[in-house]
Amino acid sequence: MKRMAIGALLAVLTGSAAAQKAKKKVPDRDISADVAAVYGADVEAAGKAVEQLGAIGTPAAHEALLDALAMGLTPSVAMLALQALALHPAPPDVLAIRRYAGHHDPATRSTAISSLALYPDPKARAAIVAGLHDPAGMVRTAAARAAAKGRVRDATESLIALLARGEESAAKALAQLADTELARTLADQLGKVPEATLALALGQILLRADFGPDQSKVEVVRAIAKIQDAAAVTALTDYIDSPVSQGKASRAEAEGIVDARLGGK
Amino acid sequence: MRAWGASNMRAAIAIALVAAACGPKATFRLSSDENNAYELGQALSKRKLPASPQPLNTAGEPRAFVLTAGSPKTIVAYSLASGNALWKTDADVQSRIVVGGDFIVTKEGEDIVARGQDNGAARWRVHLDHEFVGAAADQERVYVVTKSSDEAWLTAYDGGDGGKLWSDAAQGSLGAPAAQGGVVYQPFLAQWLAIVDGATGQQLTRLRNEDQQISVLRVTSQQAFYGSKKGLTVLDANSATVGAGASPFAKVKVPDQLERTAYGRDAYDPVQVSYTAADRSRIFLGSASGAAAGYAIHYFRFVLGFEADGTLKWAYSHPRVELVASEHTGQVIVGISSSGDLVALEPSTGAVRARKSLGTTAPVLGATFDADGWSPGEQSEAGDTVAALVSIALDRDARFDRVKELAVTALAKLPGPDVTGQLLAVLSDDRAPQHLKDTVVDLLVMRRDPGSLPVLTAQLGVHTDYIAGTEPEALAAIARAISGLADAPLDPGQVTAALAALQTHLDAATTASDELVHVIGAMSAIGGGAELPALGSHFLLYHSDDTLGGDASWQKAIVTALHTRGGPQERELLRQVAADPRTRPSLATLVQETLGE
Repeated sequence: MKRMAIGALLAVLTGSAAAQKAKKKVPDRDISADVAAVYGADVEAAGKAVEQLGAIGTPAAHEALLDALAMGLTPSVAMLALQALALHPAPPDVLAIRRYAGHHDPATRSTAISSLALYPDPKARAAIVAGLHDPAGMVRTAAARAAAKGRVRDATESLIALLARGEESAAKALAQLADTELARTLADQLGKVPEATLALALGQILLRADFGPDQSKVEVVRAIAKIQDAAAVTALTDYIDSPVSQGKASRAEAEGIVDARLGGK
Repeated sequence: MRAWGASNMRAAIAIALVAAACGPKATFRLSSDENNAYELGQALSKRKLPASPQPLNTAGEPRAFVLTAGSPKTIVAYSLASGNALWKTDADVQSRIVVGGDFIVTKEGEDIVARGQDNGAARWRVHLDHEFVGAAADQERVYVVTKSSDEAWLTAYDGGDGGKLWSDAAQGSLGAPAAQGGVVYQPFLAQWLAIVDGATGQQLTRLRNEDQQISVLRVTSQQAFYGSKKGLTVLDANSATVGAGASPFAKVKVPDQLERTAYGRDAYDPVQVSYTAADRSRIFLGSASGAAAGYAIHYFRFVLGFEADGTLKWAYSHPRVELVASEHTGQVIVGISSSGDLVALEPSTGAVRARKSLGTTAPVLGATFDADGWSPGEQSEAGDTVAALVSIALDRDARFDRVKELAVTALAKLPGPDVTGQLLAVLSDDRAPQHLKDTVVDLLVMRRDPGSLPVLTAQLGVHTDYIAGTEPEALAAIARAISGLADAPLDPGQVTAALAALQTHLDAATTASDELVHVIGAMSAIGGGAELPALGSHFLLYHSDDTLGGDASWQKAIVTALHTRGGPQERELLRQVAADPRTRPSLATLVQETLGE
């Protein structure tokens, strides 16, 4: 393979930092067999090779992955390469991963966006937010999870828009992102978004041990109490049964509401 | 207008020959002197024509007589000068309204009824014994043509009391007549135009066209024209010179899309005895001498002005409803809509010279104007041809699909980014017919207007967005239009912006392969090399992809773009990809063929 020639070409064509770095890095161990497999016609072998490069985790292996992604990989191999790359995230990865976040294959896009959750780079966060607007449901789900995982606050508005469309992944992501203020914002969505999805979002907030103080949870419990859908009772019951509610005033509040709702039947 | 083939002509003549053999001597006969220059001169000199264009009515007031729907119908007399209705009267009208000096005439039931122009009251009534063909009037007399199965008659009545003055029989069909200054123009057997003394019924002379029938008459206060759907000839002293082209002959270029337009009523069409849809598609010559000064066409809701060479000059689109009647007064083109709105247009520019409401509540069925020379004194509204053409293009009425093609074609010939934006609006219109959009795309490509690049770029700003519910609008068409700007002098800043916008679609997951082909083509057309890194990256990303990488159209587009616009680096890239075992085989083959290796 004329790897270095291609790397130089990529540097001109794409401005890829990875391609430029490929010229000066020296591998810590012999990865030539894996690299050769990545560029071979055997897709299965290429997949195993990128996984191996990820597992090796040396700078040279990492750059080999970047180089391979820059050169273009079939979707099945690209997804494995993206996952392998994210095992050892480094700033130069973002450019390569974002390229695959716009891939025609939805699964590849989903994988790329999921990987971007590990990068605090604004461009990575922007790509995650863009993923929430993707027409493919699986991509939006991946983007919602990435937004939650990467604590992408910029995604809040888009997630609320998806909440209004009843997307559970958005509800769960918002629950993970929520602080007291966002929890109140979500509570105010009653009547604007599907009740079951809202109950799910607020219920997921209650299940978070790091959400507080407890008075804030009381407010969330009371917000759930306003939801007529049966999902409200499920959310409160799940909270009551959760260890995080033990001994909390919010639990007592929830129990009272559940008793009233169930007793009223 | 009906077609009049040679077989029809022979049949008509055969019937007339039979009639000639059997019946009494008729005024209108097969054998008669014709195209006699001396007699024509004498006949024309008998006309009492005003020194300047003016209405026929004795008050000299420009008027319109409007027929509205109902049971019974209603005649509304309207003064164009004052803008007021003069009177209204219910009447069972079954014909056009014919205007005389101080009266109007209509067919009501089986009668001819004359009404005074002062108040609309019935003045006299004459029963028709035969089928009504048409009528005309001058200041004193009414001329009525009737027919039976084998004979026809032209009969004159006194406009004041309805007294029968004379009647001429014909050995064959007579068309609807016209009158002017005391003579009657009488179409006979579709090939002759008899000129009859209105006072006596004597045929003064007659004309025969050498190469076309005579089925259309158009008469103003000073001019007369005769002809057919093929064109009109000015009636003058030279009209007897057959085939020499002595008299001005006007034949204008009617766009194919404006089918069924005519220079006037078909005198032989029984349907056109009344106001019909045929009155909504009229050609108006710009001057008495023909089309040299340009011409206009009224086509339902629209009035289009043309240069003498057929180039569209201006357009007017009437809001919402059709213009059911129209006339050229010599100063303005005046029309009345089905909702009772009157509009007067400047023939040379399409500017609105007058706009009034007749105050009618029932739909207008038709109208007759007596307004020769009328020129509204009001200040005109400048015509907005672009807006009118856009209005036509976006009209919802499927009957006008072909006119929409004409409109967008005319629109595309106008320069400027605004026009490009309007054409793009047609593409964005969900209800626009596909063939119209195809036409617009072709026009955008051919337009090659460098000033349009920013508009096209702005249109590229719309992307697929699940939350916003948006989709790119006409991406392929816009890209093709940008491709059409190859080699055009473009602003470098605008090119950079366009390339950036195109690249967002190149990199977008949702851009379909058939759209990508055009996006790549557009980037290649205007990029000047700046597009190559993006195209190279795109090529690498998908060269081994099972779907896009195997798409033959995409392969050809991307390889061509890199090869024809690229340099040594791009050719090296192509070589590397061709040698890459992961590359789709068909793509590798194409690259090798392109490189000649």
